[in-house]
Amino acid sequence: MSSRRARASNLGEDEINELVSKLQALLPHSSSRCTRREQMPPWKILEETCGYIKRLHREVDNLSERISQLLASTDATGDVDVADFVRSLLRQ
Amino acid sequence: MNTYNMVKQEFIKKWITTLHMLDSSVDHPTNVTERKNAIKLSSDLAIAAARSGATVWSRAIISRTGNKTTNKPVARRILKKARNRMKNRCTTVRRNGSLKAKIRMRKRTELLKSLVPGGESINNKDYLIRETLDYIVYLRAQVDVMRSVAAVDLVIGDLQNVPRNK
Repeated sequence: MSSRRARASNLGEDEINELVSKLQALLPHSSSRCTRREQMPPWKILEETCGYIKRLHREVDNLSERISQLLASTDATGDVDVADFVRSLLRQ
Repeated sequence: MNTYNMVKQEFIKKWITTLHMLDSSVDHPTNVTERKNAIKLSSDLAIAAARSGATVWSRAIISRTGNKTTNKPVARRILKKARNRMKNRCTTVRRNGSLKAKIRMRKRTELLKSLVPGGESINNKDYLIRETLDYIVYLRAQVDVMRSVAAVDLVIGDLQNVPRNK
């Protein structure tokens, strides 16, 4: 990885493509599409990235809901310290 | 990935802190929906805090959360830290390629900018992609940790119900 901050003015197509292929590396493999790891066109990578971020956002939303419900089911008095609850779960 | 585990650990640390913020806030959430929103808010704030406000996306989350949270002193502390790191990095856009490809890229780029917090303020494409790469790592950590917490649901559910034959 070449210096990030030094070269501010002369960012060529190559550098951007390199970054974009790093994005591709982060995307989850979808078995229905590329069976071998072929290079997706940059616009496609961006598109997949957007879809991926949206999915992650939805997951956070769903998981927040589930954790809230989990709390509700174990918290009879309404006095549960959420932080302690989460901490104890993560220590398992 | 060692770095990834560090990210998760940092997120967990910060999430416990933001959840404490929640617990000690005056407006204690009562129903499931309120709690859900509070959990989500604290979780988002936690990934931003884990990044120490060193990126555009994390600062954007912190400043948008600052308006929502009821525990002002803690939010102000985190915001102050973020402001100290604020740097103006906007540079001009570089464009290459055919018009059609340019338009296609631009549309995708605009969408991406709307999805990454603070993305709209980033004009440099190189910078936007770096922010995106960074943001995704932290988003994944957020999801992984929250999944672990939510997964306990299965265990507790089994304990509360009549034990079934496995």
